[in-house]
Parts: sequence; structure tokens; C-alpha cells
Amino acid sequence: MTENHRPRLRALLATNGDHRVGALNRICALAVLELEVTGVGVTLVGRSGAIEAHQRLVHASDTVAARLEDLQLTVGEGPGLTAVISGAPVLIPDLAAARSRWPAFCPDAQRAGAEAMFAFPLTLGAITLGSLDCYRTTTGGLSTYHVAAALMLAEMAFEALLAEVAGHAPDDLGWISDIHAEVHQATGMVSYQLGVSVQAALLRIRAYAYAHELAVAIVARRIVDRSLLLDNEN
Amino acid sequence: MNDHHEQRLARVFVELADTLVDDFDLLEFLSMLVERCVELLDVAAAGVVLTDNKGGLRMAAASSEQARLVELFAVQADDGPCLDCVRTGLPVYSTDLVADELRWPRFAPAARTAGFVATHAVPMRLRRTVIGALNLFKAEPNGVDDASVQLGQALADVATIGMLQQRAIDDNTILIEQLQTALNSRVVIEQAKGVLSAHTDVDMDHAFAALRGYARSHNLRLSELAFAVANGTADLKAIIAGANHLARRAKP
Repeated sequence: MTENHRPRLRALLATNGDHRVGALNRICALAVLELEVTGVGVTLVGRSGAIEAHQRLVHASDTVAARLEDLQLTVGEGPGLTAVISGAPVLIPDLAAARSRWPAFCPDAQRAGAEAMFAFPLTLGAITLGSLDCYRTTTGGLSTYHVAAALMLAEMAFEALLAEVAGHAPDDLGWISDIHAEVHQATGMVSYQLGVSVQAALLRIRAYAYAHELAVAIVARRIVDRSLLLDNEN
Repeated sequence: MNDHHEQRLARVFVELADTLVDDFDLLEFLSMLVERCVELLDVAAAGVVLTDNKGGLRMAAASSEQARLVELFAVQADDGPCLDCVRTGLPVYSTDLVADELRWPRFAPAARTAGFVATHAVPMRLRRTVIGALNLFKAEPNGVDDASVQLGQALADVATIGMLQQRAIDDNTILIEQLQTALNSRVVIEQAKGVLSAHTDVDMDHAFAALRGYARSHNLRLSELAFAVANGTADLKAIIAGANHLARRAKP
């Protein structure tokens, strides 16, 4: 089994500076190093994969990464979009061999300089924010360590993006990896009770936890056993 | 083992083989697997954990969605038979969880509180890679018997084969994709359980049963139905109405 690299990755991410600036940029820069890829892009996209108003590129480490993200949105297909729809990583060590899967994407992606792509969805169950797409200019796969690091960094990128959506600082990278089934159940319950998306429900639970200085798990437990009913006030 | 039992066993293998031919849904398969384990083996409960590819283990299926069993898998992140089993690639067991409190300081007391006395974990292994474990529990003394362990291992092996049937695995990518798909689907299912539970005031166990029942009778993938429920696009009334033997959640 892979050793737990999460504390080391978090330590690498922590800076003395202002956390509000560039959490996602720092995560992506670390991804390039830890995964030994050429570049990384992050696009906000909904699960249906269809072009939506809020879809946009939020990070690209170089022009090729930006081109790959733009290409996916333009042609409506690609490893990143597939990752978002399936909720699982899409690992393509050789883009040329994957042409039949994405015939509108692969040739142009290769022309842009990419020979391998590894896409990691930024999702938490039905909460879908987008994908973290890594590319290499040479073919070849990811090692077990690379995959583990990528999954952990994708989790952190998810947290950073979620914080951005909620409009506050990503000051607590790591809370997502600690959550268990009850938090997901509570998310579903609050989503139904308040008539909001699961994404908004999770943010509401977290906001309540922060406001009352309680662990998210405790708040979730109370929601599930019905001793706590959240309302819409902020 | 009498004829009736053998017939049921044969039916289970046919059932499992059928799922391998159709569009393979790992999570639904594992849910069926743990259910059959409790029916056919002499065990009180069963669960499957899968590697999360980040060095941890996460529960993928349990024979009951009641918190007391589900928490037993969350606890095994720190110690327990599943962790030992996945690390060594070998079966791990205890015939007396009281005596094994030092061996598993977090897991053993929790398992005892849940009413279990003995446990056995068998690895789900593909060549040299261990992808998870099948964990069996007994509420009576004497440990899980050999026949049950062997059968449990055979059923777990069928699950592993199901994951590999599509393509040759040289580079691990298919395996990783399938594991991560299953784990993300699990989260969707938990969110969906919450939605259903809030809609009709049923407990999580019945919410899950309602989801599975509706998916089966309407020929839907469990994960896709769960996504629709979590996303607010499913017909919750129909799903609840279709569930058999629904009981109201007991008030505290």
C-alpha cells in the first residue's frame, strides 16, 4: 500500500504568505512537480458536459495546457470532460492510441504537443466542480505514487475551488479527506430540506460548523439524527 | 451442506456470472456479494473495503447500512483485520475480539460494541496487487468456519475477475479507474440516501434498500439512479413507493 503522503503534500503547499492568493496555482505547480508532467490545466465544468455559462478555464500552467482546456470546451469532448461525467480519473498514457475515444479531440491535442493526458475529476459524489487535467509531451503512464499524489492534490484543488465558490479563504485544506458517510448523508438531507443543490448544502453545513466552532462531522451527526435542522439564513 | 443449500449456492454463482456478462457495475455487484455472504455463509454481517489509491481503505459495500456496521469500516482506517489483510495480502482473523483488544485497539472494542465476537478478512487480489478485502463478522463464538471462509474468498475472487474482464491489465489504469468510479459512486449513494431519508423520514438502511430495489426493477444502474436522486431530478415518491417492507424510522 502507498505510504501516506498527504501531510508532506500539505506542508509543501503551506506558505508564509496570504492563503487567499493562488491556492489553486500553488496546487497546480506542485502537481507538475510531483506527477512529473509537462503542464496542468483546471476547468470549471458541470457534470452534463454541456457548455454552461459558468464554464471557464481557471488555471493553466502553460499555453499548451490552456489550448487543451480550450479544445475540450470547443469540441465538447476529451479526457477531462469524460472524467467529470464518470466521476473517475481518465488516464491516457498514449493519446494516439485513444483517438477512437475522442476523435474530435486527440488529433488537435497531439498537434498542440500533448502525447499523454491524465484527467482527475474535481468531484465529491454528485458535487461536480470540474477537472484537473495533466499532460505530457511524451507517452508513458503514471506510477502508483503519481496517482496517489494526483488524487490528493485533486482533493485539495476541489477544496480550494469550493472555497472560492463560497467566497472565503481556503484556509483549511484537508477537511474533505476527513469526511465520512454521515457528512454525505447530511448533505443530501440538507439539500432536500432547503431545496438547494448538494454543493450549496455542503457549504451550508460547513458554514454552520465554522460559525458554531464545531467539527463538520458533529454537525452532520446531529443533522442525520434529526436533532439539528438547518435553515437558509447565512 | 444439504441439497437445498447447494442449490442456492449454485444459483448465486450463476447470478454472479450473469453480472459479469452484462454491463458490469462494481458497486451493485459488491452490494449483492455481501448480501449473499450473509445468506449463504454462517456469518452475521459482511462488508467490502477497497483501496482508495491514496494509501487508505474505504468501505464499498456492507450487508447492512446501519451506522453500527458502517462505522466499523471507518474505524479500520487505523487498525483492524482489513488493514492487516490488505497490507499482507493474506487472510486475517480473530476468533475472540475480547482477547484481541491489544491487537486492534480501535477496531476490537468497536466491533464488540456492535455485537460481534469474531471476524475474518480475506484479500481481494489481482496477481500481486491487493485491491481490497471482504470482511466477515460473527455474533457467536468459535470464529468463521473454514467452508465459509473458502466460499467467501471464492465470491471475492469473482468480484476481482469482474473488474478485469474487459481488458488486460498491464498498466493498472483500468483498475484505478474502476476503483475510483466505485468509490465516487459510493459518495453519491450516501448523498442520495440523505435526500430520500429527508423526503420520507426513513432510516438510511431503508433508503438504500429503496434505491437498490427501484434501480433493479427499472433496469437502471444503481450509481446513475443515485446521481439523479442527489441531483434532485429523480421521482422520490416513486422510488419510496416501490420499496418493499418499508418501515418507519424508530423515534428515539
